[in-house]
Amino acid sequence: MSTYLLLDTSTSRTSVVVVKNGEVVFSEYNDGALSHGETLPKLVAAALKVSPQIDEVIVGMGPGPFTGLRVGISFAQSFAFARGIEWQGVCSLDAIASQFSDKDFLVAVDARRKEVFYARYTEGARIGEPSVCQPSQLGALQLPIYGEALNQFPDPSAFVGIANSNKAYSAPIYVRRPDAYPAPVGVKFRAMTQLDLVPAFAIEKAAYGKDGWSMAQFKEEYLGKDRMYVAAEFGGELISYAGVFNLAGVADVLTITVADGHRRKGIGRELLRRLIDWSRTQKCEAIMLEVRVGNEEAIPLYTSFGFIEISRRKDYYGPGKSAIVMRKELK
Amino acid sequence: MKNSDALVLGIETSCDETAVGIVSGRKLLANVISSSVDEHARFGGVVPEIASRAHLEAMPNVIKQALSEAKVSIKDIDAFAVTAGPGLIGALLVGTSSASGLALAMNKPLYGVNHLSAHIAVDSLNSDHKLDPAIALLVSGGHSSILQVNDLTSDVITLGSTIDDAAGEAFDKIARILELGFPGGPAIDLDAKSGDRSAIDFPRGLTLARDLVEHKYDFSFSGLKTAVSRYLAKTPEFIRADVSASFQEAVVDVLLAKAIGAAKEVGIDTLIIAGGVAANSRLRALAQERADKAGIQLRIPPMNLCTDNGAMVAAIGSLAVAKGLRPSELGFEANSSSGITHPIF
Repeated sequence: MSTYLLLDTSTSRTSVVVVKNGEVVFSEYNDGALSHGETLPKLVAAALKVSPQIDEVIVGMGPGPFTGLRVGISFAQSFAFARGIEWQGVCSLDAIASQFSDKDFLVAVDARRKEVFYARYTEGARIGEPSVCQPSQLGALQLPIYGEALNQFPDPSAFVGIANSNKAYSAPIYVRRPDAYPAPVGVKFRAMTQLDLVPAFAIEKAAYGKDGWSMAQFKEEYLGKDRMYVAAEFGGELISYAGVFNLAGVADVLTITVADGHRRKGIGRELLRRLIDWSRTQKCEAIMLEVRVGNEEAIPLYTSFGFIEISRRKDYYGPGKSAIVMRKELK
Repeated sequence: MKNSDALVLGIETSCDETAVGIVSGRKLLANVISSSVDEHARFGGVVPEIASRAHLEAMPNVIKQALSEAKVSIKDIDAFAVTAGPGLIGALLVGTSSASGLALAMNKPLYGVNHLSAHIAVDSLNSDHKLDPAIALLVSGGHSSILQVNDLTSDVITLGSTIDDAAGEAFDKIARILELGFPGGPAIDLDAKSGDRSAIDFPRGLTLARDLVEHKYDFSFSGLKTAVSRYLAKTPEFIRADVSASFQEAVVDVLLAKAIGAAKEVGIDTLIIAGGVAANSRLRALAQERADKAGIQLRIPPMNLCTDNGAMVAAIGSLAVAKGLRPSELGFEANSSSGITHPIF
């Protein structure tokens, strides 16, 4: 029989367990979504006082919020290396599922951005690999859902059994890819000129229909004072434009519009970066924008630049079409 | 073990380099770096999540390679050191967690150290000169600071820093505008070699008399950036090498004017230049010229130790051990924006 050091940092809970000859001899946890880095060494130090000898390390590989998840895994791999012992990874959701015996159920943990990581368990076994979705999609399955929302966390004392019966993971179960898009290839960014107004208006109409600016409004917005417009072209054709307005020291994003067929290629990201750079040169204290509630492409982009929601405007884009107001400090 | 010969292993993961260095006292034994810079190049800048993933993946091999380069076993290491800030929080946490794992496994002390102090401490390696007091000019992609180093392990004061972009960031942005690629520093340095550095008179930020009242030792590079974009917009026939050389001269000139000014006014006759931008060839040449003229002793670490590395972390850890400083508390908090008054966490 062996002594196992078992760690999990895949949820807002940091858990450390030592199992010796099949018995739990140490088990402690601490809750805090941002404190895995401070908590884990303290808990392991306490565990080593109880059992200085460790024969193997097993760590939860997620899925879970990445920063905390990596705390446990990087700790486990270096600890095992230094001691010259083995380490392996298991799926953390399995250690929540092990606490329940329903015939068919789901396990879900927080994935940030209003999504959850989840897996389905039938007849005591996980079906496929963990995935990510919105909580409402899980609700539609009408199965019991266990997990973080009900204060149910991975129990590392189950790791030994899971490691014996399920496949091992040697890399974190990220599920999601990093939120980054390569710089768009073949796209040229430049200042927007009056000659762009006609093709820009065509893009505007196609994108927003009658909710968009009229040609007259567009021209007025374009010619106004204290503004900067940038354009992107591809193969000599206008495909995107964006504008910002310096209103008494606070920059206001007027528009970022990418033509259909060119979205999700990092063009909006590059345009926004230019609007922010310009606002900084104007010594603006902050930059603000409005985005339609439920715009799942734009909101994560803005969040990744550090914009945060400060308020909502009801019916801003017309009846039933509310806006989220977001702001990023530039100081 | 004599404290002054302690074997110290240092880990650095504050940005995109996964790096481990090993020193014995002030002697450098190993310096291994795995960089994810190529993965970031296509995004035009460092992507934090990509950097953190790469750190976790690279760490075990980088540690093993460093031990084998130093020809020591993990059991021989007397103390561990790790960058605890400033830096990207997700990236820092991979380093601090790995270091905690090693230190707890081996029951050895762990020092969480300040990244900026480490950049200066690398100057202690492979030499026995007196380290402090000194004025340090620290210039990199994330930092541009003038520091008064009274005691490298316990008393470092920030005299000034950038109020907008870091010097290295300015290089990256101008390189992007000039389509020279990422990272911008080496690209502009190379391009500038064939250019005329007096061709265009770009502004020197915060050098006017009225700016000096509040920002004597501070830097600003955003006005310079705007001036370069404006110049390019109104000069369709611009000569790229001249723009690179003149831009580089504007940055280097103001960095050195303020750093040497600080040394003279504070009355400290040693200037250390560290950080990634210290690898810039024009900065090195002009610094030597001006330091000689001012009667100031100039110290610049070798090129490979100027950019982020693990040796610098091991170096400051080793100085802390030699002074008998207490290790950091278990579970010290990695801090993305930590100041420098306390070089050891």
